[in-house]
Amino acid sequence: MRTRDGLWFYVFISPWLFGFLALTLGPILFSIYMSFTDWDLFQAPHFIGLGNYEKIFTRDPLFWKSVGNTVYYAFISIPLGMLLSLWIAYYLNKKLKGISFFRVLYYLPSVVPVVASSLLFVRLLAPNTGLINKGLALVGIDGPNWLLDPDWVKPALIVMSLWGVGGSVVLLLAGMKGIPHELLEAASIDGASPRKAFLFVTLPMITPIIFFNLVTGLIGALQTFAQVYIVTSGGPDNASQMIVPYLFENAFKFYKMGYASAIAWILFLMILLLTLLVFRSSALWVYYEEGRKHG
Amino acid sequence: MARIGLLEKGFSYAVLSLVGALMFAPFLYMISIALSSDATTVKAAFTLFPREFRFENFVRVFTDYRMGTYLKNSIIITAFTVFGSVLSASFVAYGFARIRAKGSGFLFIVLLSTMMIPGEVTMVPQFIIYRELGWINTFLPLIVPSFFAGAFNVFLIRQFVMGIPRSLDEAAMIDGMGHLGIYAKIILPLTYPILAAIGIFSFAWNWGNFMGPLIYINDPKKTPLALGVQLISTVSGGQMPPWNMVMVASMFLTIPMILVYTFGQKYVYEANINSGSAGIK
Repeated sequence: MRTRDGLWFYVFISPWLFGFLALTLGPILFSIYMSFTDWDLFQAPHFIGLGNYEKIFTRDPLFWKSVGNTVYYAFISIPLGMLLSLWIAYYLNKKLKGISFFRVLYYLPSVVPVVASSLLFVRLLAPNTGLINKGLALVGIDGPNWLLDPDWVKPALIVMSLWGVGGSVVLLLAGMKGIPHELLEAASIDGASPRKAFLFVTLPMITPIIFFNLVTGLIGALQTFAQVYIVTSGGPDNASQMIVPYLFENAFKFYKMGYASAIAWILFLMILLLTLLVFRSSALWVYYEEGRKHG
Repeated sequence: MARIGLLEKGFSYAVLSLVGALMFAPFLYMISIALSSDATTVKAAFTLFPREFRFENFVRVFTDYRMGTYLKNSIIITAFTVFGSVLSASFVAYGFARIRAKGSGFLFIVLLSTMMIPGEVTMVPQFIIYRELGWINTFLPLIVPSFFAGAFNVFLIRQFVMGIPRSLDEAAMIDGMGHLGIYAKIILPLTYPILAAIGIFSFAWNWGNFMGPLIYINDPKKTPLALGVQLISTVSGGQMPPWNMVMVASMFLTIPMILVYTFGQKYVYEANINSGSAGIK
């Protein structure tokens, strides 16, 4: 019976196991090997040892520019997004008539496919005719050239990312619903204002959700692709070039498969390192209820 | 006290409406551009509130552009991927949740750790594999992988199945049912809320997927909508893209997402909570 059960286990997991071997493990090993070659898809690969990595680290300023841009984008859009989502969640958590209408309204932008939102923001951010600069002009601000200005193209992409903040708001709201009523009642009996109760009771209780948003947001931001590809093509003057579009260009425009593989591994290490840092930091600021089972 | 409450209520509504208007404005702008005439489009003289109502644009995108083809391709690809990912993930999850075997614990850890590997690492080798198989310019590279059970989906369903009492399985086993029967007749019907959520996630991912078709498809007849919208917006040197058509196409791309999320709200919500807390524990 046991051995037959064992067989059944492998029958059931066989789709995943096959996919893992053929589309994950195999490609990983192949990618490691490729990253040590100069393969261009047309001629036989030459083993060049650490050549690709050496070039990336010493002779490829454009790669480092795209790393810098990606980090700039991640390190500003994520904290801004977290603050904005908390602020919105604070209001959406109030017991008001018609609040579910507002919840849907704030969530909607986050389900718009990135191709559609990217093209929409090309229009919204147009310097003279775009809606954003027209709106700014109404309040007397002379809007920047956004996508055409190397100093403003990254802020433009950050503004775009903030439109989709509703996805993390939903999770925060779910976390807020899970807070025991006694806690908030106790705070209000002790004379805490709603704002103080939010800061000192609600906020600490939802740090696990904030942490989750931070980790997924970080990984997502480091992998930014479609926005750059569609909205800016990395320009102007490479001011919005990021790691994944740069990798994509190397692989599928120049067919430098070896070089692109090396970039992919550096990206993997960056993601791993930053995620580990965030996990490490969580002991300092993420609050887990005592007695909660960690499974 | 009541007055302060009223004041605060008013303030909250004011904040929610103001920020909400900012959130909604891009949608309105999209609709307004979609309904604009070609003359307005050439001048890019778009307004937030629609001033023209060229509903014929929604027909022209089929007759002057390949909207019909794009839509059909997207529907085919998405239907197969949703079906494949739900079916395969639930099948695999049953194995991980219910059967102990030599190596099952280790393989589960392997499954979890694959979630940490960014798609960019396997993207290039996968392209080479599919190229060797002659799958470029077919739907296969976009469809087939979904039949191999995504790790995250397996994990979600496995957690769900773990919550179903084993006594149900045992009773069925005594009645002489095997694993296949228990999976199909007992577990599968009980897991439909999480399967629905995974179907929705899978729909959202595949319907909106841009990078996949960009890599594998360069034939307009095989192009799905997400890439097709971008094709419509791509014009040769210096010309103004047909923004009204681009926004009509964008609406065709966006509306199904809104519908699916609206109708599937409660499933997504549950799964979000599960995955959210799974991520933090």
